[in-house]
Amino acid sequence: MIEFKNLVKTFGTRTVLKGVSFAIAQGEILFILGTSGTGKSVLLKNLVGLMRPDGGEIWIDGEETSRFSEDEYLRVRRKVGMVFQQPALFDSFTVFDNIAFGLRRLEKLPEDQIRERVREALGAVHLAGVEEKYPPQLSYGMQKRVSLARTVALRPQVLLFDEPTTGLDPVTTTAVNQLIQELSRKLKTTSIVVSHDMNCALSIADRILVLDQGQIVDQGTPGELKKSQVPLVRDFLAEVLA
Amino acid sequence: MTKVASSLLTDIGGCVLFFKDIMRTLIRKPCRRVDFFDQVWKVTVQSVSTTGMAGFFVGAIMTVQFALQMKEFGALGFLGGLATSATVREVGPLLIAFMLSGKVGAFTSAELGTMRVTEQIDAIRCLGADPLQEMILPRFLGIVVSSFFLLTLGLIMSIFGGMIMGAAFAGVNFEEYLRHIPTIVTLPSVLNGIVKCFVFALVLATICTYKGFTATGGAKGVGQAVVKTAVSTMVCIVIFDWLTSFLSDITVRVVLGAQ
Ligand SMILES: Nc1ncnc2c1ncn2[C@@H]1O[C@H](COP(=O)(O)OP(=O)(O)OP(=O)(O)O)[C@@H](O)[C@H]1O
Ligand SMILES: [Mg+2]
Repeated sequence: MIEFKNLVKTFGTRTVLKGVSFAIAQGEILFILGTSGTGKSVLLKNLVGLMRPDGGEIWIDGEETSRFSEDEYLRVRRKVGMVFQQPALFDSFTVFDNIAFGLRRLEKLPEDQIRERVREALGAVHLAGVEEKYPPQLSYGMQKRVSLARTVALRPQVLLFDEPTTGLDPVTTTAVNQLIQELSRKLKTTSIVVSHDMNCALSIADRILVLDQGQIVDQGTPGELKKSQVPLVRDFLAEVLA
Repeated sequence: MTKVASSLLTDIGGCVLFFKDIMRTLIRKPCRRVDFFDQVWKVTVQSVSTTGMAGFFVGAIMTVQFALQMKEFGALGFLGGLATSATVREVGPLLIAFMLSGKVGAFTSAELGTMRVTEQIDAIRCLGADPLQEMILPRFLGIVVSSFFLLTLGLIMSIFGGMIMGAAFAGVNFEEYLRHIPTIVTLPSVLNGIVKCFVFALVLATICTYKGFTATGGAKGVGQAVVKTAVSTMVCIVIFDWLTSFLSDITVRVVLGAQ
């Protein structure tokens, strides 16, 4: 169970998140929609302690985490994995070592299990056989999928996806969406997906949250949101219905 | 004006705190040896040719400068000793620092800045590692340690340069050039040079890792970080040169006097 209570984040004189509150249950797939620059990435980064909020609380499984020390956050990061908006791969490591990075440090698995996990994770994103390549040798879409595999390989209880399908072709986009659904169904993984893609939000989300200028302007199940009267939501929907 | 002053103070404060963090990481959870040796090797290889060449010409320049004046006093026998002493005490460390700041400093801040703005540093933290321990510390130590190798190399090359120039320009043969080096280049001079080299390397390593680590705002931000690294290291190195010049002199005297 994850809950945000009145979260506020400020950069200098600009308040990016102006009191955001919502909760998400285990196994749920929550989509966060919103225009560029409303603070979606900032919201996710606050959850894993890459940024600290200036106000409000974050609760993960009954613990208020926003004032945790960096060491205590290791515990949170074992539970909550994040896929970044950019591929964020380590250029001087092979794809294999990129994916093994977290498995070696967070999970401290033996090497033969790591090999198994890497193979499995790459299979899940339809990328078998690139283990020995370096990230700059891969296309952007492939890098993005490796990055997805790197986090999924850790099998965290909660997965945060920051625009996982932006820049991917339709076929791979479907595969990624299926992967998110599968993880939720099989492993009871909770997912928070930041996306611009109303279409896939409507098809795989349990709940959708619409963020505008640092505030939640609407939320509900896909069915509820289709009937929304909020202008921004109608704009998002217009594209799908057209 | 107040804005400039306050941003300067924030910068200095940030740098000092960052240095403190690096030291704490060094004591609590040092980086892996492989990473450290890897960085020492990289930095040394990157700068070995420029430092060697610069050292050679500095030796040559110092010799020409001293020769012009010493000829009048008929003291050409001391040429090698004086030129080397000046290089050890002052020009060598300063030169190595400038070379390193242009090459390794810029490279390091660009590399770390890129890692920052492409979310790689965030990713490192999320995957259970400490970027200070795995990224910053090896680079920091790499610069500090390899600066000693480079200083030694620069000095040896400067003696070569001086010897050749002394022979060509002032008619001082090699043996004569070398004879007074041990008498004039004393232990305090050498210690002075080593202390300076160490301080400059610390300053450079702190600034370039700090600027890279705290870069923001995409490719442009990385560019700005690199420029700021170059400017602030040059300025800081000169300031610290002035500081260490008499501080190290006093310390060396006290230490030697106490023995
Ligand atoms: N480290 C930072 N320092 C200062 N401002 C920041 C920082 N990170 C984000 N911001 C600002 O916070 C705002 C929200 O950024 P964020 O990255 O969360 O947007 P986003 O909703 O993810 O947009 P996009 O869809 O383009 O990714 C932006 O205006 C950005 O300039
Ligand atoms: Mg974003």
